Amino acid sequence: MVFSALTDGITRSVESAGAALSGSFFEPTLRIGVTGLSRAGKTVFITGLVANLLNRGRMPQLQAAGRIEAAYLQPQPDLTLPRFDYENHLAALTGDDPHWPQSTRAISELRLSLRSRPSGLFAAFKGPQTLHLDIVDYPGEWLLDLTLLDKSYAEWSEATLTQIAKRPEAATFMATARAEDGALRLDEPRAKSLAASFTAYLQDARANGWSDCTPGRFLLPGDLAGSPVLTFAPLPMPALTPRACLWREMQRRYDAYKSRVVQPFFRDHFAKVDRQVVLVDVLGAIHKGPAATEDLRRTMAEVLTAFRPGRNGWLASLLGGKRVERILFAATKADHLHHSQHPALTAIMAAMLAEAKTRADFAGADTAAMSLAALRCTVEETALRAGISLDAVRGRLLDTGKQAIMYPGQLPTDPARLLSPAREGAARWLDADYALMGFAPARISLKPGDGPPHIRLDRAAEFLFGDRL
Amino acid sequence: MIAPGHRPLLIEIEDGPAADPASAATPFESAPFESAPTGTAIEGRAMQSAARLTTTRRSALGRLALWVFTALFGLILTVNATRFVTGLLASNPVLGWLAFGLFGLALALALIAGLRELAAYSRMARIDRLRDAAIAARATADLAAARGLVAELASLYVNRPDTAWGRARLAERAPDIFDADALLALAETELMAPLDARALTEIEAAARQVATVTAFVPLALADVATALYANLKMIRRLSEIYAGRAGGFGSLRLLRRVFAALLAAGAMALADDLIGSVAGGGILAKLSRRFGEGVVNGALTARVGLAAMQECRPLPFVALPRPGTTTTASRALAGLFGRAEKPD
Repeated sequence: MVFSALTDGITRSVESAGAALSGSFFEPTLRIGVTGLSRAGKTVFITGLVANLLNRGRMPQLQAAGRIEAAYLQPQPDLTLPRFDYENHLAALTGDDPHWPQSTRAISELRLSLRSRPSGLFAAFKGPQTLHLDIVDYPGEWLLDLTLLDKSYAEWSEATLTQIAKRPEAATFMATARAEDGALRLDEPRAKSLAASFTAYLQDARANGWSDCTPGRFLLPGDLAGSPVLTFAPLPMPALTPRACLWREMQRRYDAYKSRVVQPFFRDHFAKVDRQVVLVDVLGAIHKGPAATEDLRRTMAEVLTAFRPGRNGWLASLLGGKRVERILFAATKADHLHHSQHPALTAIMAAMLAEAKTRADFAGADTAAMSLAALRCTVEETALRAGISLDAVRGRLLDTGKQAIMYPGQLPTDPARLLSPAREGAARWLDADYALMGFAPARISLKPGDGPPHIRLDRAAEFLFGDRL
Repeated sequence: MIAPGHRPLLIEIEDGPAADPASAATPFESAPFESAPTGTAIEGRAMQSAARLTTTRRSALGRLALWVFTALFGLILTVNATRFVTGLLASNPVLGWLAFGLFGLALALALIAGLRELAAYSRMARIDRLRDAAIAARATADLAAARGLVAELASLYVNRPDTAWGRARLAERAPDIFDADALLALAETELMAPLDARALTEIEAAARQVATVTAFVPLALADVATALYANLKMIRRLSEIYAGRAGGFGSLRLLRRVFAALLAAGAMALADDLIGSVAGGGILAKLSRRFGEGVVNGALTARVGLAAMQECRPLPFVALPRPGTTTTASRALAGLFGRAEKPD
């Protein structure tokens, strides 16, 4: 067991060293880590980005767009992962009856290869260069598990129990958990019912807009459903923890969950990320209220501590110590706001993730913040109400399918107006009202050579990998 | 033994400002470095003279004299003309009325010419205003201002078939863009690129002309005149290309502005450039002094043209690279002095 783990590790590091070597000298590969909680818009972002890179008519801000000769969707390099279902997602977004793609339930990968004419001093002597972009899509719920990596079972239990104690969704589970004595011997049916109760709470909490629903696999177990690593729940630590007691067993399973589920996921998909884009649905959180906003802020801050930002020397990247060189913090669904409010939205998002951003800046990584929409589904219009003209947007409502003009309210230019009450635990926004409606993708007719419409996706692409083209 | 005049001395100051080393003048001001006179170095005499001719400011006395003489001459002309017409009217009414009509026509034409110059001034002022607005919009990331600016730019070039493609692309893409800098960059690449290409052709033609004439024409003043004429024509064409259409006086004013700016920056010396050392002091000059003069004059014309291009362009160079003097001059002079042109 120990020996196989050792050889396994050696094989892996030899493989990655070989990949790094061929990557640095022959065909550079750029891993783009798309990070975002569930419903933040990862799938749509990837689909929109790929569609707009395949048809570059709408990418004026990507400086190298004119030099790209061809873009090609390669078979992905990782043979054990399914391919990102780009064609179906695009068909869902741009078809005759456009709708948002289904929520992602499993991990998938995509490699987009760009062949471009080189620029610069020696451009005339070089042939076309190739850049591979590796992008991974995964359920956002799983991302939360990264926060577990440096927490022990006792810490996690305590933090979780104190956080959920006041939530109405958790009442049933809290009653069960309080009644349980962790010092008793493990009884598998009891453990199962505890886990089931906790899972039910997590489902409810996610449906009601809470972000911190760990462990993520409880929500989307995949093929792990019913296995012991998913059969635990947070319990208060009893005074005595004898061998094989319930609490100890839960701890063992939690640790196994960390080492067998979370760590491989992180190691395979995030540890080698070169460029990262952090998608945050700030508008949705603001709409849900101060508690959801604070919850989102705390969760994102915790998740982002798992990444190592910084600068990559070429030697360091050969030796395998990879750091995230560029991080883009993006507030998604910017098309739900008139562009005059985009700066305010960007400022709020930047303030919300200031902790992670300053950490990355300090480590020497490049960071940028912007508001974007990977698929634009509204047009801007000015509405008149009581003699005042409001900058609004018009689109097809998600619920009813009817055309509507929406003005969601005026975002404050000072992010502290929102973030401070959220941090202090206000029940509702004091002097402002935000009403956000979801929009469905619009039925669009595209010209040849044009990708689907977007907001600032080209700017995001330029920041993320424009320097390597 | 100390000499009586050099005894130790200490003066205590009762009241007065305290010494502040931080804000004191640096004790050792080095004398400004002056380069040694170059003697026979080639410096593009024709262009230097042209620059001096256009930028010399007259003294107050000279200006007063010019004003007095102009006023006097004008007075004489008007009085004589009035006398001439009234005399003619008295002696022969038919001829008198003819003369009156002709004078009226001449006055009207002068007025129209003046109005055209005024319109040219306002067009140039508009270009300047557009450029300032573009810089401001980019600095403040003001999308509304940028959109207004781009709309005005598009309307400025609405009658120009060479920008039709760019205007169509701009109209198609502009609604997608929500950043002031990106919108301005798009406008620059779409609208300015074809105009820049034409402007560069003009500059190269002028540089070639000046270089040829100064290299081959043996008359001393003819080269200065040619240089001045070619530069004026180039600037006039440049402002036409960018829709400024500076009239006659406007072009002269623009040329003075460009020359003054270049002289102030020391850029008329061509000392900071490879051409200066190669053509001016070195290889080419060894072969033929006149060829050296020609190349340096041509290069200086190219530099003037590039500076004028920036003055005439309604958007500053940001998204597109600023064309360099060396590249432009060498492209203009390639072929003239025996370098084979590379097929592009």
